Amino acid sequence: MTEPLIRASGVTRRFGDFTAVDDVSLTVGPGEIVGLLGANGAGKTTLIRMILGLLPPTEGELALFDAPPSREGRARLGYVPQGLGLWDDLTVAENLAFVDEAFGSRATAVPDALAGSRDRVVGGIGLGRQRQLAFAAALGHGPELLVLDEPTSGVDPLSRARLWDTVHDSADAGVGVLVTTHYMQEAEQCDRLVLMSQGVAVASGQLADIVGGTTALAVRTDRWQDAFAALDDAGVLVMLAGTHVRAVDAGEDRVRDALGGLAARLEPVTPTLEEAMVARERSAG
Amino acid sequence: MKAMILKEFRELRRDRRTMAMLIILPIVLLTIFGYAANFTVDSIPTRVIGPGAEQVAANAPDLFDIGEVDADATTDDALTWMQDNDTEVVIDTTTQPPTAYVDGASLFTAQSASAAFGRMGDQVQVDILYNPDLDTSWVMVPALIGLILTFIGTIITSIGLVKERQTGTLEQLAVMPLRPADVIVGKIAPYFLLASFDMLVVTLLGVWIFDVPFNGNPWLFALGAGIFLFVVLGLGVLISTASQTQAQAIQLAIMMLLPQILLSGFIFPLDAMPTAIAAIGRCLPLTYFVEIAQGIFLRGAGLEALWLPYAVLTGMALLVFSAAVLRFRRDLAPSAHHRAKAKAA
Repeated sequence: MTEPLIRASGVTRRFGDFTAVDDVSLTVGPGEIVGLLGANGAGKTTLIRMILGLLPPTEGELALFDAPPSREGRARLGYVPQGLGLWDDLTVAENLAFVDEAFGSRATAVPDALAGSRDRVVGGIGLGRQRQLAFAAALGHGPELLVLDEPTSGVDPLSRARLWDTVHDSADAGVGVLVTTHYMQEAEQCDRLVLMSQGVAVASGQLADIVGGTTALAVRTDRWQDAFAALDDAGVLVMLAGTHVRAVDAGEDRVRDALGGLAARLEPVTPTLEEAMVARERSAG
Repeated sequence: MKAMILKEFRELRRDRRTMAMLIILPIVLLTIFGYAANFTVDSIPTRVIGPGAEQVAANAPDLFDIGEVDADATTDDALTWMQDNDTEVVIDTTTQPPTAYVDGASLFTAQSASAAFGRMGDQVQVDILYNPDLDTSWVMVPALIGLILTFIGTIITSIGLVKERQTGTLEQLAVMPLRPADVIVGKIAPYFLLASFDMLVVTLLGVWIFDVPFNGNPWLFALGAGIFLFVVLGLGVLISTASQTQAQAIQLAIMMLLPQILLSGFIFPLDAMPTAIAAIGRCLPLTYFVEIAQGIFLRGAGLEALWLPYAVLTGMALLVFSAAVLRFRRDLAPSAHHRAKAKAA
């Protein structure tokens, strides 16, 4: 059996009295895209920093390429941090040249989309291009593992799709990918998900496993504002998409009670990942 | 407007470093520098030699703190003491009238001694060594080289290093397969080279524009400047490890720079300061660089005369630079640090 590229067992990280990551376990295998989901402050970045060896865990065990995180292990991975980790005062070509030299790899070609910006300083090009460059720099040395911390944050949909094409191409070539995101569309592109809330892994598995335990009812009524207010007042988890009201993890009887005499048609619908996440967050909190 | 003022006060209250600069620093500055800011020298270390030494020593004005009275010493001995900076004044009674050798490299001391001897009329002929016209620039330029190196080493280096932390690229460096030593040397070497270049330019300009004599061994001076650079670069790295932003780094660097400017003896003579304040000055690296620079430039002093400031600066360089490298290394490889600690436990 192939050893996982990342293996975290019962990893905890405390900062004083505050527990940022609490007893989290996960694995990432070759060719697998594992998504780490959660709101801001859920502990995703802290977990990634521990996996990279930038932050020691308070408890638990971590293995990167079947060994404690180390310089040797880090040489085999590509990392795109939230802040991108690019040198703003260097040009596109100079950034790639520096990373190539640091990893001892052959010269990484400037991506076609950046060819026109090759000699421009990175601080002067747009965020979408900066992200493309960060991906190129992370992939230049042929890593076996990609660690991406919110890699498409602030990028337009087209650029986001292109970056995900790159992620899929890498995974198809056998590269393991650990990616944090709070975009639901991106989560749907992962093979496996770990949902984190307040430092705890509240759910894990494939998309269907995470959404599976959640139910949703579409509440069809012309008086959607009144329906929303009534459900919210009754403590029902209620979501709004345009003028469509959806009650999450609440049975038909409870919804009817909450609506009182308000005329509405209830229809069971498939919950979205976002609804499942919010429901998990609420039950964890 | 009221809301804006309140917001500003609330922010300031939580910014401890700025509060320290606004409240504590002025009090410390006033107290320490109030005592230090004194151009009047009350006591001048003096030796008296020659057949009339006892009599001259007995009649010398109180300003002269007579340390050694040696009837057998010669003029050559006197000049050696002066070059080695063992004393500020030697009264040589082997000549008639006696000759007072005064160290012109100690500007304010020399001015006070000259004035005192002037009041004695023809009883003493004064020979001001190393800086006969008591030219201020001759004394200041060698010391200013140290100040410029301190500025570059401390402020510019700390800003450059904190920038990596602030933009998140320090984390990227930590993830790359670079050894911490590669990162540290790679980050510091350019500043070391640039500061060395600055030192050369400032030295040449000082000699060329201000006619400051360079009487000593240039290689010995380069060695002293190199050791001093290690100290100030180490301070810069230390500041960067204690700062999250460039503004914080500048604040800390200013707090380190101010005492060096005022207490290192290049503006106010250490001899004119109260003992406790002078003791603070003796803990600052610039004090020793000033001694080395003025000694080599003006007196042409060698290592036998300057071994003490060289030794102290070397000790400071080892201490400060090691601490800086260890702290910086911890920022780059925290897990290795953690594992080492766990192993030790």
